[in-house]
Amino acid sequence: MSTTKDFIVEQLKAQISNYKSKIEEKTFGKVIEVGDGIAKISGLSDVMMSEMLEFKTEKGSVFGVALNLEEDTVGAIILGQYEGIKEGDEVLSLKRILEVPVGEEVIGRVINPLGQAIDGKEEIKTEKNYPIEKVAPGVITREPVTVPVQTGIKAIDSMIPIGRGQRELIIGDRQIGKTAIAIDTIINQKGQNMKCIYVAIGQKESKIANIVAKLTEAGAMEYTTVVLAGASDPASLSYIAPYAGCAMAEYFLDKGEDVLIIYDDLSKHAVAYREISLLLRRPPGREAYPGDVFYLHSRLLERACRLNKDYGGGSITALPIIETQAGDVSAYIPTNVISITDGQIYLEPDLFYQGKRPAVNAGLSVSRVGSAAQTKAMKKVAGKMRLEAAQYRELAAFAQFGSDLDEETQAKLHRGERIVEIFKQDQYVPMSMADQVVIFLSTIQGLLDNVPVEKITEFEKNVIEYVNDRGVEIIKNINQTGELNDEIAEKLKKIINDYKDTLDYLIKKEEVKE
Amino acid sequence: MKIKPKQYAISLFESLEGKNKKETEEIIEKFVQVLVENNQASQIEKIISYFSNLWGKENGLVEAEIISSRKLDNKIVKLLNDYIVKLSDAKKVNIEEKVDPGIIGGVVIKYGDKIMDGSLKTEIRDFKRVITN
Repeated sequence: MSTTKDFIVEQLKAQISNYKSKIEEKTFGKVIEVGDGIAKISGLSDVMMSEMLEFKTEKGSVFGVALNLEEDTVGAIILGQYEGIKEGDEVLSLKRILEVPVGEEVIGRVINPLGQAIDGKEEIKTEKNYPIEKVAPGVITREPVTVPVQTGIKAIDSMIPIGRGQRELIIGDRQIGKTAIAIDTIINQKGQNMKCIYVAIGQKESKIANIVAKLTEAGAMEYTTVVLAGASDPASLSYIAPYAGCAMAEYFLDKGEDVLIIYDDLSKHAVAYREISLLLRRPPGREAYPGDVFYLHSRLLERACRLNKDYGGGSITALPIIETQAGDVSAYIPTNVISITDGQIYLEPDLFYQGKRPAVNAGLSVSRVGSAAQTKAMKKVAGKMRLEAAQYRELAAFAQFGSDLDEETQAKLHRGERIVEIFKQDQYVPMSMADQVVIFLSTIQGLLDNVPVEKITEFEKNVIEYVNDRGVEIIKNINQTGELNDEIAEKLKKIINDYKDTLDYLIKKEEVKE
Repeated sequence: MKIKPKQYAISLFESLEGKNKKETEEIIEKFVQVLVENNQASQIEKIISYFSNLWGKENGLVEAEIISSRKLDNKIVKLLNDYIVKLSDAKKVNIEEKVDPGIIGGVVIKYGDKIMDGSLKTEIRDFKRVITN
C-alpha cells in the first residue's frame, strides 16, 4: 500500500513542480443583443470564422460559434441554453475552431453534437478532437466505388445497389419507412466490418429511444454511434449535428476503416440553417432559404468518399434522408440534394398503402454507381430481375384496360406479380446476400411460377430455411466469395426443386411457359 | 436616406479636427440642432460611443480596466500603466480601477478588446484541471 501511496505522492509532486502558470492575452467582447439562439457581440476584433466563443454568464459558461463577422459586430450562434445570457455579458474567444471529440470511445453511445454523453453513462473522454468543418478529400486521394454495402433489403440490394463510399439519398413523404430502411441497413452491417453513425437532426427523442432500443436488441449498438440533436434543442445544435457526425466518421476513415453515416433528415437541417440565417439577417432567397443552402449540403456530402490504398483505403458511405411534402420532389431542398447525391431511393405513399413495403418506387429510384457495387453472384441474378420488374410495371399499367392478352404478355404479368411479392419485406429482418441470391435465382429461373401469389411469402421463408439446412456449404460459399457459377446454380436449383416436391399447394394444370 | 449613427459620428469627428475650443463648442451646438431637426436625438448615445472610439483611435487613447482583489497602491498602478502602454502601443491610457474580492488575488487587466487574466481564481481553476486530469 505504502508504495502506491508514495507513487501517487511522487506523481503529484512532479505535476506540481512542472506546473507553469501562464497568462495569455485573450480577445473579449460584450453582448449587444441576444435572442432566439443568436447573439450580437461587439469587440472580438481578431475572431475567426466558426471560432468557438465562451459566454460568461452568472450561471456558468455557455459556448457559441462566430458565424457572421461584420464591420462592428460579430454574429454568433449559441450552442445550448441561451436564457442566462444578458446584454453586456462578457464573451471570450477561445482561439480554436469548433471541434468534437472523436475516437473508439463514442461507439455504442448516444451523444449530442458537441460530443457529450446523453445516454446517462460515463463521460466521454477521447484523446483526439476533430474540427467539425473539414475540406473533403481531393481527387488524387479517391478511388471508384466497387465494394457493396449490403443493406439486407431485397429491393435495394438487387435494383439500387449501394457501394462503400457512395452517397445515396432516401427520399419520401413522412411516415413511409425512410428511417426503417436506414435502421435495417445498420442492423445488417453486423460482421461486415462497418462502423455506423446515425445522426438524428431535429427528431423526437421518443423515436430515438425506440431506435436505440431496437439497435441494442439487434446487437447493432456494438458498432453504432447515435448523434442526437433533439426537437427541443436549439437550431444551432441541429445545424452542427451532421458535421459533428461526419467528423467522428472521419476518424475511422483516417484509420482506413469503412463507415456508414446516416443523416436523418437533411430537410430539418436546412430548416434549422434557415432559422439561424434569418435571425442573423442574411438575405433570404427561394423558400426563404439563404443563398448558400446548396453549399450547406454539398460540402457535407462531398466528405463521403472512398479513398485509395495510398491514403488508407477507408470509406464513408452517406445515406442522407429527405422528407418531401405530399410527394413534391421538385421543391428546393429535395432537388438540391438529389443533384448532389449519387442516386436516390424514392419511397411512394401509394405503394406503402397497398402494402408493398418497403415502398421503393423502382422506376424513380436510381443508383449512379450501379452494378459496379454488386457482388458477382448478385449481378448475375439481379440484372434479369430488374429488367423483368420494369417490364411488368409497364405492362401492368397497360393491361388494366384489356383482358385479351397473348400468352407471352400473360407470362410476363404472371412473373411480375411474383417479383412484386418477393420484394415485400418486413422491418428489422434484413436478409443475407446468399439468401437473396437463392430467392432471386428461383424467381428468374421460373421456379416460382407455379407457386400461388398469396403463398409466395410463406414459400420464400421456408425455401430459405430448407436451402440453409441442405446446402450449408453452398450458402457459406456464396456469402464468402460472392460468386455464383453454373454448377452451384444447378445444385441450388435441385435443392429448391426438392423442396417444391414436398408442397401440396402448387398450381398444377396451368403450366406457365418461360 | 437614413443617416446611421456611425456616419454622424464620423462627420462630427471630421468637422472638429484642428478646431480650437470656442469653435468646437459652436460646432457641437449646431450638430445637436441638426440631430433634433432630423429626429435623431434618440441616437445620441450610440453616436457618442462611436465618436469616443474614433477619438481614442486618432489620439492614441486606450480605455483600460484593472481588477484586483484589494486596492492597489499608486506605485503598482503606475507599473501596470506602463505595461499597458507597452502592450497596446497607445500614447495615453485611461485606467479605471475596480476592486473585486471574488478573484481572490492577482490582477485582471482589460484594455481595448483584450483581456489578461492573472487572477488567483483562474489560476486555481487551471491548476485543478491539470491535477485531476
